[in-house]
Amino acid sequence: MGSSGLHPAAIDWMALGPLIGVCLTGVVAMVLEMWRPRMNNNGIVGVCIVGLLVSGFLVIANWNRPGGESFGADYSEANGAVGNLGLFINDRLGQVIQLLIVGITLVTVLFSEGYLREKRLPFGEYYPLVLWSAAGGMVMATTRDLLIFFLGLETLSIALYVLAGLSSKERRSQEAALKYFLLGAFASSFLLYGIALIYGATGTTHLSGIAAIANTQPESIATFSVLYAGIGLVLVGFAFKVALVPFHMWTPDVYQGAPTSVVGFMAAGVKVAAFAAMLRFIDVIVFTSSVWITVLAALAAVTMTIGNLIALAQKDAKRILAYSSIAHAGYILVAVVAYGASKSGPYEPLGQSTVAYYLAMYGFMTLGAFAVLSLTGRDGKEGSTLEDYYGLYRSAPFPAAMFIVFMASLAGIPLTGGFLGKFLIFRDALSVDMLWLALLLGVNSVISVAYYLRIVQAVCTEEPGVVRSRFAPVNAGLFTACAVCAFLLIAGFVAADPLFDWMGLSAPGASVVAGLPGR
Amino acid sequence: MTTVWDYIWIVQLLPVAGFLAQALFGQRIIAMFGPAMGRRICGAMAVVPIALAFVIGVFVFYKLTELAPDQRVQISTWFNWIDLQTLRVPFELRVDPLSLTMVLIVTGVGALIHLYATGYMATDRDYPRFFTYLNLFIAFMLMLVLGNNLALVFIGWEGVGLCSYLLIGYWYHDIANAKAANKAFIVNRIGDWGFVLGIFLIYVTFASSQAIVGDEARLLSFDVILPLAEKVLPTFGPAVVAAVPILLFIGAMGKSAQFPLYLWLPDAMAGPTPVSALIHAATMVTAGVYLVTRCHVFFELSPIAMLVVACVGAFTAIFAATVAFGQTDIKKVLAYSTVSQLGYMFLACGVGAFYAGMFHVTTHAFFKALLFLGSGAVIVAMAHEQDMRRYGALRKYLPITHGTMLIGWIAIAGIPPLAGFFSKDDILGKTFASSHYWTEHGWLVDPKILYAIGLITAFMTAMYMTRMFWLTFLGKEERWRESAAGVSDEHAHHEAHVHHPHAHAEHEDTHGFFLSDDEVLERERAEHEAEHHDVLTPDHQPKEVVPSMWLPLVALAALSIVGGLVLSGGYPFSELLHWDTQHLFRDWNAIAAAPTLLPAAEMFHADHMTEWILIGSSVLAAILGIGVMAFQHRLGIPKSDREITGLKRIMGAQWGFDGAMYKTFVDFGGRFSQGFYRWFDKGVIDGLFVNGSAWTVQSFGKLFRKAQTGYVRSYALTMLLGVVVILSYVIWKTNR
Repeated sequence: MGSSGLHPAAIDWMALGPLIGVCLTGVVAMVLEMWRPRMNNNGIVGVCIVGLLVSGFLVIANWNRPGGESFGADYSEANGAVGNLGLFINDRLGQVIQLLIVGITLVTVLFSEGYLREKRLPFGEYYPLVLWSAAGGMVMATTRDLLIFFLGLETLSIALYVLAGLSSKERRSQEAALKYFLLGAFASSFLLYGIALIYGATGTTHLSGIAAIANTQPESIATFSVLYAGIGLVLVGFAFKVALVPFHMWTPDVYQGAPTSVVGFMAAGVKVAAFAAMLRFIDVIVFTSSVWITVLAALAAVTMTIGNLIALAQKDAKRILAYSSIAHAGYILVAVVAYGASKSGPYEPLGQSTVAYYLAMYGFMTLGAFAVLSLTGRDGKEGSTLEDYYGLYRSAPFPAAMFIVFMASLAGIPLTGGFLGKFLIFRDALSVDMLWLALLLGVNSVISVAYYLRIVQAVCTEEPGVVRSRFAPVNAGLFTACAVCAFLLIAGFVAADPLFDWMGLSAPGASVVAGLPGR
Repeated sequence: MTTVWDYIWIVQLLPVAGFLAQALFGQRIIAMFGPAMGRRICGAMAVVPIALAFVIGVFVFYKLTELAPDQRVQISTWFNWIDLQTLRVPFELRVDPLSLTMVLIVTGVGALIHLYATGYMATDRDYPRFFTYLNLFIAFMLMLVLGNNLALVFIGWEGVGLCSYLLIGYWYHDIANAKAANKAFIVNRIGDWGFVLGIFLIYVTFASSQAIVGDEARLLSFDVILPLAEKVLPTFGPAVVAAVPILLFIGAMGKSAQFPLYLWLPDAMAGPTPVSALIHAATMVTAGVYLVTRCHVFFELSPIAMLVVACVGAFTAIFAATVAFGQTDIKKVLAYSTVSQLGYMFLACGVGAFYAGMFHVTTHAFFKALLFLGSGAVIVAMAHEQDMRRYGALRKYLPITHGTMLIGWIAIAGIPPLAGFFSKDDILGKTFASSHYWTEHGWLVDPKILYAIGLITAFMTAMYMTRMFWLTFLGKEERWRESAAGVSDEHAHHEAHVHHPHAHAEHEDTHGFFLSDDEVLERERAEHEAEHHDVLTPDHQPKEVVPSMWLPLVALAALSIVGGLVLSGGYPFSELLHWDTQHLFRDWNAIAAAPTLLPAAEMFHADHMTEWILIGSSVLAAILGIGVMAFQHRLGIPKSDREITGLKRIMGAQWGFDGAMYKTFVDFGGRFSQGFYRWFDKGVIDGLFVNGSAWTVQSFGKLFRKAQTGYVRSYALTMLLGVVVILSYVIWKTNR
């Protein structure tokens, strides 16, 4: 039903429900803050939790409704593209990612308030910013138009620039915000330039249009070099957001400087959104040339290796987790590469389930880990060196125990979703004959155990005469956040089969876990 | 569809429920109802599930008797546990005469011992912990005997091993007990090694033989593999035919304490006496005999394996009997006696009389549990002194214990018509009669030699049991009164106890079946101070134990009297005198369903004259043994027992075997490992590989870290370089 002319197409309001829900919740939270500026934030937190739950419910309500794109615009007829194109797409991948982002935001909101109070950052605008940033991420994941994607990305990023600098008394927070902003703007310019070049080469910014033109009318493309340059620059934009080497340099500084709850959201939410968008992008570009698989595989290899190696040399827990998140971006990229290769090569097509599953598990283990690390924030101060976590096990046994689960999951130890995720990536890489990449992932996984264990060791180390009040008391929000994350990680492992069935992102006809021995 | 056989799951799950209830609520119940009432409730919670399981077991057994003999194998499947293309292992229980025999022993004797333990452990601080382990043990033991496949049997096998370990080390404050528990666990690992290899070998042979086709790939289930063993195994050559049973037998040797793996059992006496009775005499240690009997087809295929089983059994029987002479600890005597009797059971299996082995398992469960429980009663009455040299003339003080143990003593000595005679005579008779069969089938050892060993062992059994009984109950000397001075000097710090012997006695009078709150608390405190190292004072007045302890003694004594006669239907007399009775173990096909490969039982028969002579000689051996010892003890404790010297000392030290094993494996092994650790592990592995590679990786990390300058401009430059490299590569690659 390609619309000709600028007829307003039918709008699927229901499909937009979650996005509207999150945005509106942010607006209500903002209004509440402006209405009672001197009150505490409990009301705002409550509104956010309710709003996010409603949005999550709306995502699930959409689950089995027919998908499709809406807000159609006129690229189709003129350029001979086919299908129902639009600025917004309602499909299963989008729904899964939306649900994931809503969940991550919910957990972030749960443990933020306690942390912010301890850090003496009683700013009500924190919550609207987090929600709008999440909304930006949801937009990124539910569009196939590069301009809308850019819009979502900037919505997400600008809110984060502010959030990173929230702790206005801390120099390193200010520094983090500025660095993030400058480098983010730098990367955005690459991205925007790339979109422009793609438009120049194909006359459209919609991925379907690009694919159709690249496949059917190569003669209409001005020069392929322009298209490739455009794609390359867009990939650089992605690479910056998910922190792939060599576009990762901002990560450790920003993670170390920004408030911990923001970092948790940043590490989990941004990666989820950006990788989801990347998956849609890969879907299209693998048909233009095989060079992208090579480029991305190389990026993945470099990212995993350098991320892990530098992590070993760190002495600051937040920096270690920053490099860990870089390394994990590398792992996920391996899954993305395998997915792309299976689409274009002579292989059984792989589903998007591995990427989605790993994003989900990665999101919750990282977020959980930062939630626990936020316990050092107290009386407006916060330490994040490994020594600062000595004795956490005594002072906060439950979060510390959950922290061990998160670290085990990050390291990929069985009984956690992190293990199954890595296993599936490994399997996917093998199924597209990328043995070297799979082996490199295995080696990196081994290296990573060393630094995860160092944090665990710090948490479990008893320092004689340690002052227990160094740690903030555990509040119900943090407790719940830890419990939810740990539960999801273990449930993700134990109930993997039904989870994959429910997500429905597997390649048609394949049981996702079918490759596991014994199934 | 639910059938009557599914009731067996109730039997299996009742102890599990008991275990969970005890583990989760035991401490809370004691906290809620007070120490005395709480213990009563906990005790009931422990005994009732086992007793109930016994009742249901009897019901299922009765239902089984209603079937035709060839249908007496029923399998009840719950769910598919492991489901692979090449291997299916369902959670399935097997109801057949063999498994039910074991179930009835485990739950019946188990319930009695649980009841006894409620009295024996009445003052223990960790009352619920004890019954938690005990119920868990019953659950695993039932899994072991009921499981219809080797995987389930293995779960039970390891589970009972775990419970045995936990219960031997139950009083873990004493390092010696913890070491004994470790020893049991470690020695059993050697046996498990053989058992696991046996299971693997069975799986591999059956999987590669293609004999089982379709989705019925239950390659570990008995009802699949046993009937096919005859067809499958010989195709892999004689080595495999012999290896499968021998590996299984290594497992049996570990669990059933056969030479040389018997080492752990005497040390296992460190556990509380009910544990010794239940686990280390009546049930767990007979698991090896059960396994051999269950898998008897594998053994029958290989005369070599049968020879190994018979010889190990016979040697263990006589070896352990000699060691028993050198013991002064009453429980140690019974421990070696158990090892010796287990040897008998394997001797029976080895010559092909599997039913006789199971029969002896049953009667032995009766009288050995009785003897252990009796010894426990004596130990309690004698302030936890276990040295028989300090007993004597206890028949005056402990009439019930004395009377019941008297029965146990005659039963194990082999005097008809008590239980021990029938099973032991059956074993000896079959060993003798199998002679021509086995010599024809290539045995190097004539079973008549094994028979002679068995007969000498019977003689020695009667002797050392008489010695034990005499030292404990008979004679005129009350020897604990003799060594008064030495003891109180030695244990001066226990003077408090010496000063108030009467306070103790007063309480003894007041309690009936149960103790009151105050008594429990006071004893708990006393125990806390002493932890079972009370001192036997010269003015000690032994008192008969509480009813909850002597009731099981009476019940087991009754079983020890009539058990053998009833179960065997009076065999061998029934045959010689033409009685119209059935031997439950032989005629009722207790051995199980798979067709036996050995010749019919008749081939093992001796003629009537020989039978009479065999009966006569075994009775004579028993009477002679008792007589010799009675003569030696007629004037009180012999000199060789006051100071254990000479031959007795060598025998008591297990002919030096335990020491040699310790020196070789623990001392030398430890030193070897230390050396290896220093040179190879520290030097090569840690130094070169671990630290070396870690150092290399770390240096790379530090190198890359240098790039992290902290300046935005250098970060932006890195990004720019990245963009240039990527774009250059893409353009170069696509424009070729």
